[in-house]
Amino acid sequence: MLQVKDLNIGYEKREILSGLNFSIGRGELIGLVGSNGVGKSTLLKTLTGNLKPLSGEVNVDGKALPLIPQQELSKLISIVLTDKLGGFNLTVFDIVAAGRIPYLSAFGQLTEKDIEVIQESLETIGIKQLSGNYFDELSDGQKQKVLIAKSLAQQTPVILMDEPTAFLDFDSRQKLFQILKKLVKEQHKTIIVSSHDLEVLFRNVDEVLYLKGNKDYHFESPDKIKTFFL
Amino acid sequence: MHKKLTVHVIILLVITSALLFVNLFFGSISISLADLKEGIVSDIFYNIRIPKTITAILAGGSLAISGLLMQTLFRNPLAGPYVLGVSSGAGLFVAIAMILFGGVSNYFVGKSLISISAIAGSLLIMSVVLFISKRSRSNTTVLLVGIMISQILGAFQGLIEYISNPAALKSFVVWGMGSVSNTSSKDIYILLPICFLFCVMTLFLAKPLNAILLNETYAQNLGINVGRLRLTIIFITAILTGLITAFCGPIAFVGLSVPIACRLLFKSAHQLHQLCYCFLLGAITLLFCDTVCQLLSNSYAIPINTITTIIGSPVVIYLIFSRKESLT
Repeated sequence: MLQVKDLNIGYEKREILSGLNFSIGRGELIGLVGSNGVGKSTLLKTLTGNLKPLSGEVNVDGKALPLIPQQELSKLISIVLTDKLGGFNLTVFDIVAAGRIPYLSAFGQLTEKDIEVIQESLETIGIKQLSGNYFDELSDGQKQKVLIAKSLAQQTPVILMDEPTAFLDFDSRQKLFQILKKLVKEQHKTIIVSSHDLEVLFRNVDEVLYLKGNKDYHFESPDKIKTFFL
Repeated sequence: MHKKLTVHVIILLVITSALLFVNLFFGSISISLADLKEGIVSDIFYNIRIPKTITAILAGGSLAISGLLMQTLFRNPLAGPYVLGVSSGAGLFVAIAMILFGGVSNYFVGKSLISISAIAGSLLIMSVVLFISKRSRSNTTVLLVGIMISQILGAFQGLIEYISNPAALKSFVVWGMGSVSNTSSKDIYILLPICFLFCVMTLFLAKPLNAILLNETYAQNLGINVGRLRLTIIFITAILTGLITAFCGPIAFVGLSVPIACRLLFKSAHQLHQLCYCFLLGAITLLFCDTVCQLLSNSYAIPINTITTIIGSPVVIYLIFSRKESLT
């Protein structure tokens, strides 16, 4: 589903990670770990096409990323970021509904089918009761869940999540990974999750991409990666 | 969702129609239907009142839509064409155009040159503010820089006024007070189609505007070409603000306070809804302000900016105190 070949990433002339080569299949849950500033978010933004790679290739479903039209790409990959959102009367429903934007007409009016998908996404994440609340009024953990629901509403085969468990309590973290595992198993989604919560992550993912530094990374099973932290 | 929009739009249309009627028939002189057949009162109605009322609707609606576009693009509820110096940019270029092209005898050529200059001024300042906003992620910095740009442009405009001849100076001062009364029937032929076209065009931006409300990275991931959207917003805002400033002078607070009032009143984040609300509430605001000016000014003409500021400032103060989060 995702192939990365000789990928060098960074900002303008500042190289952050280089020589990345890995391949992720359909229906896999991948953990992304590494210390702060190592380039996890930069890698995720490069994989979504938000950042251009300095060199190398990213292929999605066999197609090179730059050759996929933006509209089509929005139906293939969705993201959950740590950026601050809110204001402008945005409710939980509005944020989750934003996930349907790739499927809407120019006026942005939702159809009955869109509303159904939004309700399903809210239900899957367990935040249906918050639907009418203003996004600004939620706790950080609840906000995180709303953004995950937005990503589900986008109905993409690939979901990239940047620290989705950052503001969640232990129970919610466990529940989130159960949901992700269910999505991988039942809907064959490919999910990459970056996290510092190694215990929960290692217990749930199929493989781990461990970024140690520039030109130094490992893509192995959780058991093998664990040994680096012992 | 659709039902709410329809109900709100109908209410706003009823208020607009009522104010339109008052604006047409009441003022320094009241006009009855019997007066419309002939005579000087009939001339006043057809040649002064109707163009003025249409101008108030177009100017209010266009400035409010410009303000909404800017607030969404900068994700800053305190952005607006007047606050960020876009109106001042248009103003300075109009001042220069009045000196350069003031003597052009053909009415349409003269007006078109002034309008194009105003649009160029708006476009320039919008681009500068956007460039700064890309460099600084702080909303406060963008606002402060906008205010500083506004001051600098105002100073240059003052300099031009200082060195201009008495006739040009008089026209600057009158224009600078802001008014919807200075447009003739001929001006409406320029204003109406352009404002209508660009205001309708913004409805087709509803989807990308909804996406950019989240942030630029999310918008891009939702399939929106953010660069193209940014350019389209700059272009439309510059045309609407530039054109209205060229014909009516710089009008304060409508572009800032109407989108804020719409968000407070109608509680919707959907940009298609907000665009409709903003156009109508903008039209209502200027019709109301102009009617107040008309009714109060038997001997002296009250500048419309006085009334828009008196109404607009409390709205902005309310917003600042009602916000839970920091503006930065």
